Amino acid sequence: MKYIVAAMPDMTKKHPIINVTRDLHHHRTSDENISMYIDVEDNLLKKITSVWYKQGFLEALSVAADPSVNRESPTLAVTASYILKVANILTAFRYFLQPHLKDIGPKIVANYSRTRNWGQVPVKCLAWHPHTTKIAVATVDDNVRVYCSEVTFVSTLKCKAQGHVSSLNWRPLSASELAVGCEQGVIVWTVDPNLMFTKPSSSNAVLLKKNGHSPVTDVSWSPNGDLLISCSGADTSMLVWDTAMETAIPLRRVAGGGNVFARWSFDASKIFTATSSIIFRIWDTKTWTPERWCARGHRVVAACWGPDNILLFAAKGEPMVYALTTTSLLSGSQTTKATPALDVTKVELSSGEPVGGPILDMCWDPTGRYMAMLFEESHLVAVFCTTYIMMQLKIDPCCFVTGVEDEIPCTMAFQQNFNDGACLTIAWSSGRVQHFPIIYSESY
Amino acid sequence: MDVTCDIFSKRLIISVLWNIGLQAVIAVMLVGFIQIDILHPVSWISSSINDVFGWKMSINIVLLGLVSFFQAYIYGCYYVKPLPKYFTRFSMFLSLFCAQNIIFSILYALSGYFTMSLYSSLAKSNFNTLKKICENYDGQCLLEQSLFLQMGGMWMGLYYFLNAHIFSPTTLTFPHIYQDKFQQIKLAIHSILSCGFKSSIIPVVYYCIFYYFWGHKPRNVVSDVYGLYLEDKPLDNILNLFGSGIWIGLWFYTSLFLISVYAMRTVFNIVLTEPMKFPIESSKKLTLHKAIAQKSQFNGYLGTQDLKIMSLTDTVRRKEIFTLSQPGGHPRNWNNLLQECLKIVNDFSKELDSINGDMKPVEIEMLPKRPGSSITPKSTLYTGNLRNMAYSPQLHELKEHNKNKSEHTLISAIKEEFNILVQRIRQKPGISYLFGELTDTRLKFLLMQAQPVMWTCEGLAFIAAASLKEDKYGVVQTDLPIVISTLINLKQNLDKLTKPGLVPRKHILNDSFALKMKSALLSSVKLSIYKIVITFSKYIHEIPLDPDVQIAIQPFLICKEA
Repeated sequence: MKYIVAAMPDMTKKHPIINVTRDLHHHRTSDENISMYIDVEDNLLKKITSVWYKQGFLEALSVAADPSVNRESPTLAVTASYILKVANILTAFRYFLQPHLKDIGPKIVANYSRTRNWGQVPVKCLAWHPHTTKIAVATVDDNVRVYCSEVTFVSTLKCKAQGHVSSLNWRPLSASELAVGCEQGVIVWTVDPNLMFTKPSSSNAVLLKKNGHSPVTDVSWSPNGDLLISCSGADTSMLVWDTAMETAIPLRRVAGGGNVFARWSFDASKIFTATSSIIFRIWDTKTWTPERWCARGHRVVAACWGPDNILLFAAKGEPMVYALTTTSLLSGSQTTKATPALDVTKVELSSGEPVGGPILDMCWDPTGRYMAMLFEESHLVAVFCTTYIMMQLKIDPCCFVTGVEDEIPCTMAFQQNFNDGACLTIAWSSGRVQHFPIIYSESY
Repeated sequence: MDVTCDIFSKRLIISVLWNIGLQAVIAVMLVGFIQIDILHPVSWISSSINDVFGWKMSINIVLLGLVSFFQAYIYGCYYVKPLPKYFTRFSMFLSLFCAQNIIFSILYALSGYFTMSLYSSLAKSNFNTLKKICENYDGQCLLEQSLFLQMGGMWMGLYYFLNAHIFSPTTLTFPHIYQDKFQQIKLAIHSILSCGFKSSIIPVVYYCIFYYFWGHKPRNVVSDVYGLYLEDKPLDNILNLFGSGIWIGLWFYTSLFLISVYAMRTVFNIVLTEPMKFPIESSKKLTLHKAIAQKSQFNGYLGTQDLKIMSLTDTVRRKEIFTLSQPGGHPRNWNNLLQECLKIVNDFSKELDSINGDMKPVEIEMLPKRPGSSITPKSTLYTGNLRNMAYSPQLHELKEHNKNKSEHTLISAIKEEFNILVQRIRQKPGISYLFGELTDTRLKFLLMQAQPVMWTCEGLAFIAAASLKEDKYGVVQTDLPIVISTLINLKQNLDKLTKPGLVPRKHILNDSFALKMKSALLSSVKLSIYKIVITFSKYIHEIPLDPDVQIAIQPFLICKEA
């Protein structure tokens, strides 16, 4: 049985057309915009209090200690500089003990995000709804837009607390709940699909936050729809939320540093979590105990589950995909081993384009037939066909997807309810969101 | 207690044993901490070890164990008592003074006193005895600091008892995931310590204020009873109080008391909420459907939680449900389970219905059933979208009119006048505040017990979904229509509570916990319906459903039900 793979645009005729251009963006004051404003002379106390309010105590101290800013009171400057020196020694000691805390909020997210150039691209992340043709797109202005296939109205989800959106995930077995991972915590929106003309307000949103758990770098719902897991790169505990009761239970394991992302297996029996160091864990959801694994060189940068609980993962900077399979031995016990499954060392195509090299992101379609890959040093998206027969995983190259002109692929996701094959949605750096359908048809 | 509380009592005893272990650890750490001497570590460690293995410590641990048993017994008594239905503020106030509360408050005060003296003797404090040899006089004098501490202990015990059991009783909440016990205790230690130290500040302040105003009375009583002189500066003077530093000791010991009590509660919660596996069929042990049948009691919670966990994860027990009984081929396991689950959901729906329709719980159906309209409750005049004049309740009023004609006597007239007078008095603001029915308590009381209903709905839905692949004999398929219609019924009753604009005043909840339970229940029911609909989406039109149910399912099929 062979299959012909073709990209047929008619299949995606009803899919929402998304083009995120600059005029769609809502203005948002961020640190980069401060240079656009002209300095106004305020008195010293006002300056210090405004910096304290916006950026924190240490920043205010540094403003007070700066002799070019603080011209009035040299004693204050000297005291502030001494306090700063002590504070710096303490923070250096703290980072020595806990190196994963080194960066602040958006920097942590930018460091760990699987979206290329997360801070500046038009589309930060996207997520398809598991049961219907509905897609949520987070844009650079930290608004989340929900596009449906039949409706032209686009719901925009925004609220003050929603800053530095890192991940999106729709709740399975529901039509309208979307979890947004942002800097302060997790926001769970309820987007009524029947309200076509009203904008969802912040009364439809619930902010779930916990001390020390910020910024949230990944959110993922259980396939059974009852539990939400949030990971933060700065927190060694992963939080398991009951969103209706707004309670969280931490799963804490100290070794390895902060958790970067988590992936549930299709049957919800296992969770893969990658930390900011070479350690990654596979949690068993019956007993909530983890199995600890170490990658070879660097931290695991992307992972995805497939059929029969096979896991594919890739480490940062390494052009190799590993497969983690659990096989039952004759004695009745189970053994898990990680084997290299695919070597994607960088090669140059005949057209001169480089492809391959260190992997940026991977995703597998829900039927387990196609896998797409983004590379750090290449501007092509590689699509592979995967088959799992007789306990053997076979990965064959399928095709490359390239953008128009100078476009670079930023992030991608497979549609979850595409019945004719697989549909890969790619967000390009120009703001264009492309739906790439792969139709599965039998032929001899 | 009877058989139904057996599991609860067993777990309570296990948690007491764990608690004694934890308290012993706290006591050992206290002994080590008090004698801390960094400059002479060897002597510190050796003297600590001597103390730990001395006879004093073992007596202390035995006493701590007794206190633990006692606290567990009280906890158990308050837990097993069903949630009282307070419908007026006055009855709430009266119930505070029942005999059980008074006896237990005295016992708790005594336990506070014992715990404080235990900790202060472990910490080798000088203020353990009331009497001391006088320096200036010949005889015995009162050591007022000891009296201060001991009374503080009693105050603390009373304060904690009132807070935890009377004024804001907390219900046992089952965590949504259950980790290993050691892991849970490790996670809880930090919050126990910080909460203990922080929450003892307020009662200490109250106690100091109390002692400032009325401290002299017990002091005089004690010195008269024991024949002691008072020679030190009295402590009910602010300067003396702060100067003597006894308030630090008081705060420290009260924090220790609170830490030990919070540790006890944490250990109880951890041991009591452990999920338990019930066998599907067994002649000796408690089976799953029998456990579920005990509804709002502890076994009911464990049973329904086990139902949900089994439906998600346990293929072996699911297979047992789908089997037929040996002689006869009846699906007994499934029938028993289904019967209990439907009973839970339907009873809850009926209660909701009665709150919605403002009627007493209906047991007999008043109006004849219209074929196909088994879903809509009879309390409304609106069936579907049209008002059905033919079934107006006024019909029945007309029928009963004849019976009332012959009873107009003087007595009935006086009765009516009296009733009108009482109604008028009830409307007066102060009286209605005390004696008027609290508007949201019925709904709140119902929602507090919604957790087993949530688990039951989800368990049923996931078993039904699993039956598509695992059920060889089609045992579940025949009952799919009734499962779906029960869930839809519950959802429609819940929707009446939340539809904006139509919510009558009595459904507005002030309690945030009840609000969260309501939204949790709604999302749980919707999740269950979605699970069934999505799993059977290809075959949904072949399932024989009532037309009303089919209409209600449409939004779920096209994934438009919010």
